[in-house]
Amino acid sequence: MLTSRVISPSFLPLPPTASTSSSSFSSLRTILSPFLAKTQLSYTRTSRMASSLTARTAANKLENADELIDSVETFIFDCDGVIWKGDKLIEGVPETLDMLRSKGKRLVFVTNNSTKSRKQYGKKFETLGLSVNEEEIFASSFAAAAYLQSIDFPKDKKVYVIGEDGILKELELAGFQYLGGPTDGDKKIELKPGFLMEHDHNVGAVVVGFDRYFNYYKIQYGTLCIRENPGCLFIATNRDAVTHLTDAQEWAGGGSMVGAIRGSTQKEPLVVGKPSTFMMDYLSNKFGISKSQICMVGDRLDTDILFGQNGGCKTLLVLSGVTSLETLQSPDNSIQPDFYTSKIADFLSLKAATV
Amino acid sequence: MANGGREALTPQAARSLVDSVDVFIFDCDGVIWKGDKLIEGVSEALHTLRSLGKKFVFLTNNSRKSRKQYAKKFSKLGMEINEDEIFTSSFAAAMYLKLNNFPTDKKVYVVGEEGIKEELKLVGYESIGGPEDGKKSIQLESSFFFDHDKSVGAVVVGLDQHFNYYKLQYANLCIRENPGCLFIATNRDSTGNLTSLQEWPGAGCMVSAVSCSVQKEPVVVGKPSTFLMDFLLERFRIDVSRMCMVGDRLDTDILFGHNAGCKTLLVLSGVTTLPALLDPSNSIHPDSYANDMSHFVQLLSQ
Repeated sequence: MLTSRVISPSFLPLPPTASTSSSSFSSLRTILSPFLAKTQLSYTRTSRMASSLTARTAANKLENADELIDSVETFIFDCDGVIWKGDKLIEGVPETLDMLRSKGKRLVFVTNNSTKSRKQYGKKFETLGLSVNEEEIFASSFAAAAYLQSIDFPKDKKVYVIGEDGILKELELAGFQYLGGPTDGDKKIELKPGFLMEHDHNVGAVVVGFDRYFNYYKIQYGTLCIRENPGCLFIATNRDAVTHLTDAQEWAGGGSMVGAIRGSTQKEPLVVGKPSTFMMDYLSNKFGISKSQICMVGDRLDTDILFGQNGGCKTLLVLSGVTSLETLQSPDNSIQPDFYTSKIADFLSLKAATV
Repeated sequence: MANGGREALTPQAARSLVDSVDVFIFDCDGVIWKGDKLIEGVSEALHTLRSLGKKFVFLTNNSRKSRKQYAKKFSKLGMEINEDEIFTSSFAAAMYLKLNNFPTDKKVYVVGEEGIKEELKLVGYESIGGPEDGKKSIQLESSFFFDHDKSVGAVVVGLDQHFNYYKLQYANLCIRENPGCLFIATNRDSTGNLTSLQEWPGAGCMVSAVSCSVQKEPVVVGKPSTFLMDFLLERFRIDVSRMCMVGDRLDTDILFGHNAGCKTLLVLSGVTTLPALLDPSNSIHPDSYANDMSHFVQLLSQ
């Protein structure tokens, strides 16, 4: 069990509106540029921690896989874009995982996806023909419950959940009382005279994650708890901008729901998922592994790779998910993993040249 | 003004303010009304100001209604205000598109309510989305493909009590995938007195949700952006220093006044409390403050 530890929020407060930082709206006659909305990877810039302190050299293409494999004891894999895409396994994954296990490597799976519990993920792995123990899986839904345990969140307080089943299941397993979740998605608001929304004053934490049943009722309920219940925690499972619900396209991610609650409360959440190092600390504590013995393998720079860098372990980017080589090598990108390769199955094919 | 807004409005300062101002710009929620209830003493206060020869306009970030619909609301509350005297962030969004020559063969996707749709229609733009998309949901099968209209050239996001994942995702796809698609926010208020009994989440939530998924900042047309001030200056043709913004929120109303260069008066009848105003972490100071409109006007005769 982790000792109580304050996780400092890894993100700066909301940036000012475009209008306060520019005086572009000054005259009716002025033809304003239609492209005033500037692209801003503010999440990436503001959440840089360890990586901004050292000038990182560009990522190396992985040439000698064995060298990397021999240098670490544990591999942490992200799931979406690394192991699977939607419900399809990525090519060569089973053989790669088998090879690593046969070399005595510990395998851990860390995903920001909070829709399922560890048990439910275990079933997904099983359906895809992979033998993975649920003890090896760490979803951000689990992280939220583990965090509350680590701070001795009182069992007589409740948790309001803006999120899906995975979070509810993990809270239940950890012995916490909860309210909200998917069923609040059916509740409607009518902003008419005399209407007053009541909320449970015993809610001591609001956990916000990806939520396909998101609505105004939940935004108001979460907001009332955070603003009015003294000491109420605001916890985010993760802040991913987009997520891969299906392999055909990108979907608005948990970062949106968290953004909405930040918008109404004007408070920053405690983030338990990547790139926050909470899960890394939890794992290294639980398995007794030193971080230099770990390699983080992921497809997303601002969560997976940053997570690895913040945690002080080796990092390998795979191009089988959301990040292309172009994005990695773009001048706008400042997050450089130690290595990159096209997919994890390259572990099987990339060997040192033998004379 | 002594102490930059850390002192309450005095009778002398109130008279001096009224003498130096020809036009008062009033915010609505928390200044004139709360939900559907007029704040006590507002009618009389406005009457007094009119009798002193002052003109006024109403400038609200609340995009749920159009100007016409707000005129109806005023009328129901016993005040005859012309729709020309009302400026809403819904109107601002439509005007922004018009002034930027947004093509009429492109569509606008609305994450918001009827007010935005009506104002867009008035300037000839076709909009999709709005309240009816509040009933749509996504199917959760892995084969589901979310389709979106490629002719959407702008997404306008405002306060939306029917906000849901469907709309969020629709906006996400339009902004990410339709080349040159504009991302416009009517405003970013965190909360508002949408009913008389409590505060409710504001447009700031919906805007932040979309902004976080597309990883872009929107163009904001409502307060504290000074976009609407241009319309007021056109209308009254007076120096901006002869105008006074009266509002209840520091980071929209008062900041608007600062950005635009007019005088500012904070009233404590809405979202801002005295402790919040005086807190050392607050960096936005109005020229002065009063309890409410009625208090402001009473000071004139003391």
